[in-house]
Amino acid sequence: MNLNMNSVETLVAQIQGLSGSTSDVNHLHTLLKQLEELFKSESSRLAPLLTELDPSIHSLGYLYILEACTSAPISKEQASELVLSVGRFINLCSAEQIRVAPDKFISVCKRFKDQVMLLEDPMRGVAPMLTALQKLQYSSEQLTTLHPDFLLLCLLAKCYKTGLSILEDDIFEVDQPRDFFLYCYYGGMICIGQKKFSKALELLHSVVTAPMSVLNAIAIEAYKKYILVSLIHLGQFSSSFPKYTSSVAQRNLKNFSQPYLELVNSYCTGKISELEAFVQANNEKFESDKNLGLVKQVVSSMYKRNIQRLTQTYLTLSLEDIANTVQLNSAKEAEMHVLQMIQDGEIYATINQKDGMVRFLEDPEQYKTCEMIELIDSSIQRIMMLSRKLTDMDEQLSCDPLYLGKAGRDRQRFDFDDFDTVPSKFTV
Amino acid sequence: MASSSSSGLTFKLHPLVIVNISDHYTRIKSQSLPPSTTPHAPSASNVADAESSSPPQQSPRVFGCVIGVQRGRTVEIFNSFELLFDPLTHSLDRAFLEKKQELYKKVFPNFYILGWYSTGSDAQESDMLIHRALMDINESPVFVLLNPSINPAQKDLPVTIFESELHVIDGIPQLIFVRSGYTIETVEAERISIDHVAHLKPSDGGSAATQLAAHLTGIHSAIKMLNSRIRGLHHYLLAMQKGDVPVENSLLRQVSSLLRRLPAIESEKFQDDFLMEYNDTLLISYLAMFTNCSSTMNELVDKFNTAYDRQSRRGGRSAFI
Repeated sequence: MNLNMNSVETLVAQIQGLSGSTSDVNHLHTLLKQLEELFKSESSRLAPLLTELDPSIHSLGYLYILEACTSAPISKEQASELVLSVGRFINLCSAEQIRVAPDKFISVCKRFKDQVMLLEDPMRGVAPMLTALQKLQYSSEQLTTLHPDFLLLCLLAKCYKTGLSILEDDIFEVDQPRDFFLYCYYGGMICIGQKKFSKALELLHSVVTAPMSVLNAIAIEAYKKYILVSLIHLGQFSSSFPKYTSSVAQRNLKNFSQPYLELVNSYCTGKISELEAFVQANNEKFESDKNLGLVKQVVSSMYKRNIQRLTQTYLTLSLEDIANTVQLNSAKEAEMHVLQMIQDGEIYATINQKDGMVRFLEDPEQYKTCEMIELIDSSIQRIMMLSRKLTDMDEQLSCDPLYLGKAGRDRQRFDFDDFDTVPSKFTV
Repeated sequence: MASSSSSGLTFKLHPLVIVNISDHYTRIKSQSLPPSTTPHAPSASNVADAESSSPPQQSPRVFGCVIGVQRGRTVEIFNSFELLFDPLTHSLDRAFLEKKQELYKKVFPNFYILGWYSTGSDAQESDMLIHRALMDINESPVFVLLNPSINPAQKDLPVTIFESELHVIDGIPQLIFVRSGYTIETVEAERISIDHVAHLKPSDGGSAATQLAAHLTGIHSAIKMLNSRIRGLHHYLLAMQKGDVPVENSLLRQVSSLLRRLPAIESEKFQDDFLMEYNDTLLISYLAMFTNCSSTMNELVDKFNTAYDRQSRRGGRSAFI
């Protein structure tokens, strides 16, 4: 069907006319869906229409046309223009209208991201992607498909702080499991970049223990990083999985991360020389996984761990002795390490520079202040909200026919405690 | 029948009297119910039967005497005792009354018979006869009336005190009942026992949870009342400041003395200890919430594993179908 000028005019007029109220927009949406084939075939001729439409008012129509335009393969010169126009659209569009056609919006944004990466300038994509993400979400608790793309751009552009701002929100709703895996994995990497190891640990833990029916590569990579971050942050790694891990993960993940588990073993001996030797031996493996930087951090965290262990044995210790026990080269290095740890809040100590002695102290927090009250109070509120959500989920799951089927089947037919009338075979 | 009294006497009522009257009434009422309460079957043929075997529809009236002290213009009613009412002569049992009076005189020489009490919703004409009969013991007896019907909307005590006054109605001087105001007066021992009676727990002690709930409800209502009173006072003071209400210096003096009493202890050591204890309590609630949350989470994970994880359940109960 040929798109002649008349129908183009009517299309523009319709878009302009039906972009008012919600019912109009829905009507427009159905119209546009019917014209989908048209859009696909005449994509090249639709570009000039964009000038006639205002992205903030006619967002839905603009979106459809834009999507059709970008579906065609684009050369590198046009890419820059396209990036600009899509970025402009994202900034100006109205959130309610685009939520009517979320998949179109997502495909436009994905192509935007591809173009930005093609231009090798991920920085340009970070801000528009953030706006797009926020416009697409219904609430800050929802994970959209754009989240992992946004985090990827942040990683490539090395602007970790913007990524962190998104990671602060708790997620309660996920559309696609793949989005979740990627989101947590990239999020973990961003946190590692910002040295926020506890949050990184949490995110990587989510990937490893997420429900999965088949093993996926994201989980394997995440597990390797999880081991390393756990060593850096906690100084130990427990290879037993929590019971909410899927059985698939429990059985298979360890097979793919052999060198890392051996690293854990040599870490636990507490000897720096052994650890370094092991790292040297397996250099290529770590390099190929791109985890060499993290492994180096593991080695340096060994010193910290040893100094922390000293706090539990000694009240005061000279810097010389610290250097010797921890196998550092000189007292000066020991002093630097201890100073850094005091600053980071990992140990409580005072250094007496006159005689080179370090005194280890107790945690000075007395829990007497009003700030502590506020902190505890806000934690209580958060956990109450979480508890409510969990109870709701529990109730929902109890009514799930899949669960009832399996639970009903496993009951003994006659329970001596209660002769109730639950059927032993629950056929749905 | 009832307008407000003009005799100028102030009445003080002790809660013991109220409890006595209510106890008497409850006993008589529960004793008068037939042992097996048959449900009323409303059918035309059985109407006569139903009427004869139904429990007395109106609540029985109980009677008794109140005793106390009269000092000048203040009448303080301390105690009460029960009397039988003779429906034939419409009078109280006189002999018994005098005997009781002698006995009480031995223990409490100061107490006199001040009047009588009864139950019901309002004073009736026949009560005047009883009232007159008592006039030879006390020239102006009081009549204490307790309304046994429970009205949850009513905030005050359902107790009214009546006096008798000579009023000229239609040219004939008549004695009629007039209401008087009264205040409640307690001694410390009385307060404790009344408190005890008010907070009767279920006989088996309930579980720890119900006791805790009852205790916390009490505290909650007390704090709520304190809050509303303070808010009322605050509004009043704001209105006074704005000028909507005329300034009342005596009230302001009272408020300021109340406020000055407030920070009872104000020292660094107290702050420290107080905050530490407060934090401890908060931490314990936090821990409790945590435990609650973990337990819900645990159940959720179990259910999820049962429903969705195909090969996870090994061992445990095997299917026994």
